[in-house]
Amino acid sequence: MANKRTMTLNLTDAEMDALEKLSERKDLSKTAVLRQALRLYQAVDARIERGEKLFFEDEAKKEKAEVMVL
Amino acid sequence: MSSFPIQIQLRESRTDVDASLLDGMAPQDLLVVESEWSAERSLVVQELLRNGVDRAKWPQSVHWNWAKKAPMLGMLESSGFGLVCENRWQGVMMTKTASAFARLAADKGKPLVYLDFLEVAPWNWAIPELGRSGRFRLIGSTLFWRAVQQSNEEGFHGRVGLHALPQAESFYEQGCGMTALGRDAAKQNLLYFELSRQSAERYLQTGDNT
Repeated sequence: MANKRTMTLNLTDAEMDALEKLSERKDLSKTAVLRQALRLYQAVDARIERGEKLFFEDEAKKEKAEVMVL
Repeated sequence: MSSFPIQIQLRESRTDVDASLLDGMAPQDLLVVESEWSAERSLVVQELLRNGVDRAKWPQSVHWNWAKKAPMLGMLESSGFGLVCENRWQGVMMTKTASAFARLAADKGKPLVYLDFLEVAPWNWAIPELGRSGRFRLIGSTLFWRAVQQSNEEGFHGRVGLHALPQAESFYEQGCGMTALGRDAAKQNLLYFELSRQSAERYLQTGDNT
């Protein structure tokens, strides 16, 4: 296991509420949800940097929408 | 990189041999893997060609190149695991932890460990057409076991997903107790397999799901 460091995170009520709901829905601790979010954000960012695009696809409606990543 | 002592077996004699299971492989480790394996890969291909072996029977990972996969290990979601014995890499595995989600109904949408690549060293390949039986056995199953462990450590309850090469389908389905969930057009039409939370528990208890 890699070394871990602790940080304090300040969240608004809405952000904490979203985190708690995701934590429950994904069956993960709140720390694990945030770790997952960081991993995913880094992976998406690296691919956007390489010139790739991120899409969401609705197979049923045959719709494809590009996601703008900041 | 951290190391954990394990045992694998010599295929011919079924004798146990001490080995090390390593976590936290770095990109440069994959460069070493490729340099150790590429010469043997070339020898195998030459033998296959010389013996006129039908292309359908060639090892399906024969074209893989671990040096090309090395940059992926720089990403937070990717992890590399390897098995070392006789001072050589005997098997390597790469997993991802953020970009794939469970498809089985019971845990649909929940995170899992996605087993991106798993390969044993070319001298461990069993190729009956060439009379090659492979030097060591239990490498693939040891690495798969580590993926299930990683899933537990991440809080994913043992869930593992992967797309299998056709030659590995029976290993994952019968040997590991994974459930086949259909072919995936987005992944070269490979069959997608998933290990459920329940099957993972069983696998870790018994080391077997057959």
